[in-house]
Amino acid sequence: MNNHIVENLKKEIENFKATLKVEKVGNVMEVFDGIAKISGLSDIKSSEMVTFSKGEVGVVLNLEEDAVGVIILSDYSHIKEGDVVKATGRILEVPVSDKIIGRVVNAIGAPIDGKGAIKGNNPSTSSGLSAYPIEKVAPGVITRQSVSEPVTTGIKVIDAIIPIGRGQRELIIGDRQTGKTAIAIDTILNQKGQNLICIYVSIGQKDSKLRKLQVRLEEGGAMDYTVIVSAGASESAALSYIAPYTGVSIAEYFMDQGKDVLIIYDDLSKHAVSYREISLLLRRPPGREAFPGDVFYLHSRLLERACRRNKEYGGGSITALPIIETQAGDVTAYIPTNVISITDGQIFLETDLFYKGIRPAVNVGLSVSRVGSSAQIKAMKKVAGTLKLDLAQYRELEAFAQFGSDLDEATKRQLERGKRAVEVLKQPQYAPVKIENQIVVLYALTKGYMDTIPVDKIKEYEQGLLDYSESRAKKFFKEITETKMWSDAGEAELKKVIEEYTKSFAK
Amino acid sequence: MVLGEALLRTVLNFMTTLSNNDIAQAIYLTSKDKTGHELALSLKNVVSFLHRRRLLNKSEEILFSLNKIINDEKGVKIAKVSSANKLHEQNKKEIIHLFKKRYLAKDVIIEEKIEENLLGGVKIEINNELIDLTLKNRIYKLQEYLTTKYE
Repeated sequence: MNNHIVENLKKEIENFKATLKVEKVGNVMEVFDGIAKISGLSDIKSSEMVTFSKGEVGVVLNLEEDAVGVIILSDYSHIKEGDVVKATGRILEVPVSDKIIGRVVNAIGAPIDGKGAIKGNNPSTSSGLSAYPIEKVAPGVITRQSVSEPVTTGIKVIDAIIPIGRGQRELIIGDRQTGKTAIAIDTILNQKGQNLICIYVSIGQKDSKLRKLQVRLEEGGAMDYTVIVSAGASESAALSYIAPYTGVSIAEYFMDQGKDVLIIYDDLSKHAVSYREISLLLRRPPGREAFPGDVFYLHSRLLERACRRNKEYGGGSITALPIIETQAGDVTAYIPTNVISITDGQIFLETDLFYKGIRPAVNVGLSVSRVGSSAQIKAMKKVAGTLKLDLAQYRELEAFAQFGSDLDEATKRQLERGKRAVEVLKQPQYAPVKIENQIVVLYALTKGYMDTIPVDKIKEYEQGLLDYSESRAKKFFKEITETKMWSDAGEAELKKVIEEYTKSFAK
Repeated sequence: MVLGEALLRTVLNFMTTLSNNDIAQAIYLTSKDKTGHELALSLKNVVSFLHRRRLLNKSEEILFSLNKIINDEKGVKIAKVSSANKLHEQNKKEIIHLFKKRYLAKDVIIEEKIEENLLGGVKIEINNELIDLTLKNRIYKLQEYLTTKYE
């Protein structure tokens, strides 16, 4: 046995031919805070990967007259002045394969979940993994198609009022502790069997939070179609800066196979802060809020890579849900305004609503989806069409009604309807609702069946209605799943079921 | 010479941020082709300029850039050759000949360094390029090859 190994090794060594390569090199001038200044390295490109003497990886960000500024992506404690730095001639790449699904990787794509190396089946590389560059020009207009298919989040208020389409970029914005991540997680949990690969990019978050999230996803069976990319709070700013690009490169790998991908950046405020740190260390001039001048480009080039490709170019899509944390509800700060202008709409979460018990705390008036309505299924469009308007009128009347009790019948009716609508749109965490069930509930609401139900009984009514209708309105459900719209017969069946249930509930 | 001094003056008067390379270039142009008293005066001016602009702490980097400019101008390349043992004259001649051809240089100066941990072979650093022909590197490459193959 031993002889066999030795023989094999001998053969390998005999057959091994080292190829001579002339390498472009430079020398470390100084190292500090994860940044290295390097002399030499002529002909190097921006964003090119360099390797240090002990195999540490760096990325070139600054090209100066007689030095190159590099961010170091691994432990830099062994790098010292005078060390040789080699150029690789390649843009930083992330190793990808289908087997990355279900794994937790760091900002450079290396697994950190203790489940061993990620295997691949690409015959052209020795490891079997394909390499995707982390910086890539976004797909052009010719290759794109408009958004037409929905991403169902399972959250009633979003699916009904702020629908998201595949290929859309929808910002989730709000103060701390308003349920931003909860929306993202619920959306991932709801994608079971929806043919959507999810990528969750965690930027500068506590490892404990990430671990909890991972366990939650595992419990919900969501890790079967999810990849987590993590750049933790304890890691360097360089890794936080790279992580979203790594995430989108993994997403592009799947999109290139014609698959639909959902990517969540949690959160881009921390990403901007880490980029500010790097820029200031590289002595780039600070601008507003000390962010560098290209902080808009930082996010726009990332979010532009979310798209829906047309059939001729292989199809597939990347839907992006960036998250931004505001300070005391200030959406007019630099980063929030930038990202609002880049994305195709925003879901605005408010602390006041959250503490009033309206959860998800979505402010329906300020939240919009600019392209999502064309992706909404016909049946949902029909039931939810007037919902946003109803809610807007309710809010207006609510303020007005506080001053007097002499209200006409129509106003009273509208107020009552509004209260019920708010109640219906409340939803606990980790409890996504199927789209057909959402339609049933919203149908009952908008057609006035809930008007006679006391507001505090709405939740009970809703649950009961869903259980009751599931076995009795089979035709309706079948139509919604198959044709995405009901027929007259289906509607009649649903009406009958709702009437029956409402009568029995009143008793 | 007038051009060089004018350039130095321009640099002095108008440029707010000076790169080491700019200063080295100006020094080169002012002192080019000068000898004896003229050169000494010119260098004195340079030192007083550096002193006035508080750039004396950068003199090492400026000298490095100046050296590079002079070498480029003269068509000289510096080859830093590291080896485990002292090089034979014949080998040195071969190296000079090879690099004269490769970089179309008028002259190649060899800076030798003995590094025993290289085990054997030579490592040449020239013109921001590295040619590593050492035994240490070959063993490292073999290790890389075997680990990736049998991982």
